Amino acid sequence: MRLVPVPDVTTQDAISVADVSHVYVRSDEGVVQTLNAVSLNVRKGELLCLIGPSGCGKSTLLNIVGGLVSPTAGEVRVHGHPVRGPAPKEIAYVFQENTLFPWNTILDNIKVALEFQGVPAAERQDRAKQAIEAVGLSEFANSYPHQLSGGMKQRASLARALSLQTDILLMDEPFAALDEQTRTYLGEELSVLLAATNKTIVLVTHSLSEAVFLADRVVVMTARPAEIKATISIKAPHPREPNFTTSPEFSDLRNEIYALLRDEIEKTVGGFVGRAAARDRERRAVAGERRPKS
Amino acid sequence: MKPRRFDWHARAIRVGFVLALLLFWYYLGRSGAVSAIFLPQLPRVAEKFVQILQSASFYNNLAVTLFELIVAVAIASLFGLTIGYLVGRSRYAVLVFEPLLAGIFAVPIIVFLPVFMLFFGIDIESKIAFGATYAFFPIVLNTIGGISQVDPRFITVSRSMGANEQQLFRRVLLPAALPVIVTGLRIGATIGFLAILGSEMIAGLRGLGSRVANLAEGMNTAEMFAYIVFVIILAGMLNLTLSTMQSRFAGPRNAS
Amino acid sequence: MSDAVISGARIEAEAGARAFLHRNPAVARLGLVVLALALWELAGHTVLDPNFLSPPSAIVAAMPRVLGDPGVRSALVATFVELVTAFVLAVALGLAIGLVVGLSGFARRATLPLVLLLYSIPQVTILPLFVLYFGICAGSKIAFGVSHGIFPIILNVVAGVQSVEQAHLTAARSMGASRLLTIRRVVIPHTMPSLFTGLRLAMSATLLGVLLAELYVSTGGVGYYTRIFADSFDPPATFTLVAVLALMAVVLNEAVRIAERRASFWRTHR
Repeated sequence: MRLVPVPDVTTQDAISVADVSHVYVRSDEGVVQTLNAVSLNVRKGELLCLIGPSGCGKSTLLNIVGGLVSPTAGEVRVHGHPVRGPAPKEIAYVFQENTLFPWNTILDNIKVALEFQGVPAAERQDRAKQAIEAVGLSEFANSYPHQLSGGMKQRASLARALSLQTDILLMDEPFAALDEQTRTYLGEELSVLLAATNKTIVLVTHSLSEAVFLADRVVVMTARPAEIKATISIKAPHPREPNFTTSPEFSDLRNEIYALLRDEIEKTVGGFVGRAAARDRERRAVAGERRPKS
Repeated sequence: MKPRRFDWHARAIRVGFVLALLLFWYYLGRSGAVSAIFLPQLPRVAEKFVQILQSASFYNNLAVTLFELIVAVAIASLFGLTIGYLVGRSRYAVLVFEPLLAGIFAVPIIVFLPVFMLFFGIDIESKIAFGATYAFFPIVLNTIGGISQVDPRFITVSRSMGANEQQLFRRVLLPAALPVIVTGLRIGATIGFLAILGSEMIAGLRGLGSRVANLAEGMNTAEMFAYIVFVIILAGMLNLTLSTMQSRFAGPRNAS
Repeated sequence: MSDAVISGARIEAEAGARAFLHRNPAVARLGLVVLALALWELAGHTVLDPNFLSPPSAIVAAMPRVLGDPGVRSALVATFVELVTAFVLAVALGLAIGLVVGLSGFARRATLPLVLLLYSIPQVTILPLFVLYFGICAGSKIAFGVSHGIFPIILNVVAGVQSVEQAHLTAARSMGASRLLTIRRVVIPHTMPSLFTGLRLAMSATLLGVLLAELYVSTGGVGYYTRIFADSFDPPATFTLVAVLALMAVVLNEAVRIAERRASFWRTHR
């Protein structure tokens, strides 16, 4: 059941996803459908969060948008053009696990990325330096990734993505491997960045707080095969203050999203809580006790 | 701290052992308990050692063996690296070829030496071919392993940034796989050397191994011992050279 | 709509012979081997000089003649016996030495550097010495094989003994076990996996040692016949000999692999 009306493509949209489905074949599972007729639009300059239970296909959707995976049906357009493969000049990625090359320094990592994109050699040094300064890692430009902490590595990955100067940034659970403090801090930095650059960002996350704090819109997805369950708008402007997280609006939004997610999570995790509660009730009924239903 | 101390300690033990061995050898020779044919006296061997270092035939043999080694390793590297790269880039090719190559290598290739001699004769061509074949396997297997096991995320992220195949190779595959490939080259050179020595010994005209075999046949034990000592030293030097080259190319910063 | 998508994927997944090969690399491999043999056969009748190489058909045809010769048969049997004997000795001695060296901290520090030193010597250079000391009969070949095979065993056993977790040793001690009992019940079972891993390397090394020695000694055994066949320009005979030896190697390697798998089936994969 779709709660979101079929979108029209307008010039406001950086990304438009129309009726995208994805299916793959696995030798042990047979045919598995990850996405089912997903449609959504991402407006220019907005930060859209995709949230859903584990393994539901959010990353697949992101990869389809980025041109790394082909949809089995449907179409994705970026800036009006259909997506047929990676679009390095328009889309940059930040992944969850560290994908910095361990054999290069941070500076060289970014310069190589620019080389891949096709930036002339003369410009690479300056652009790389700018990107490193933008995330506050100038001191570590000549360090190797293994010398950096997890948070710093993700900041370096972000710097690399920013250096490509694309309009669109796709982030696949970029902060998931970090501890909560670093995650919160980097989230605030991202918010500041968003306000400053007007990039379009699609961010996949598991974290409710992260979604509410960062997103202009949160798209809640169902369990596999994933469809869009609901879209929630968050009106607070960027950059968002840290105290936004303690506001009542924040809690309400968080609860609303969780309520939507809960059923989907239960389908994925197997409903341990629900089943245990049901077993409990049954046991008490058999034993003759009368207890109010929980 | 601890590994360094162990190393000094270990070195002292080894040096001590070798010295003790030499002393034992000297006194055993002096005592006359063992026939000189089985164990020539230490001073005699030392004398012969100095002699051979001044003889032209020694240097000829050394040159032949080293020449065979260099050419064999060059051929093995050329084929091993190229085939390893081509196979490693395709998941399917890896599934088909890797077990095949590993299976062939599991059979000790020494077994095929008679075939090499049949086809190439017993002069340097067969030694080069045999050595190259032996060295080929660790090189190709390690290259396949190195290239195919490059973290696919590196490849994905590079593709997403617009890398073409050549850039991917130079900037991602090669640096990522280099430690494993260099290890393969090292193993290849080492066993190539052993294969060449072995084939020279079994049936050869020139080279260090052939000389040792000739001396053994002629019961010229003192000179044979001298040659054997030299070959052991040569092997040690080769190992040291390879290990230095390996550390240079597969340095600590590649640990991710 | 969903159904069309799913069936579309299924159809694509099952298309044709190409996909079959894709899902069965083993078949493709077999096909390559067959192709190689076929090319060899073809080359044997057209390009290759029969004095130097022969096609598979000629080799198979020569087998009865070659293997019928009692001298050849006894040489091959002797080689096989040497291989098995050398392997068993290498494992037994290696296990004993490995346990002694591994269990005593002092012994380990004193002798392990020496073991590694000896291991680094290219043993092929001292092959003539082995023949000098042990003669040209089976003894030198077995000795050379043991000398090769013993090192992986020793090193693996020592590593296995050292890897026994201190916690297990302490637990045994706290329950009142004597040193001997601890060794029997804790150390040896823990060392077994390492030992079995070393078995394969030991078999490869033993094969190398015994076969090197056999080929070197040209006055008897397999080495004698390789020389004879080479001198008389009898390629099919050479190939036959080589093929039988290669088969021996494959069989022995497989035997060790099966033993290793049987012994480790209970081990959880880490």
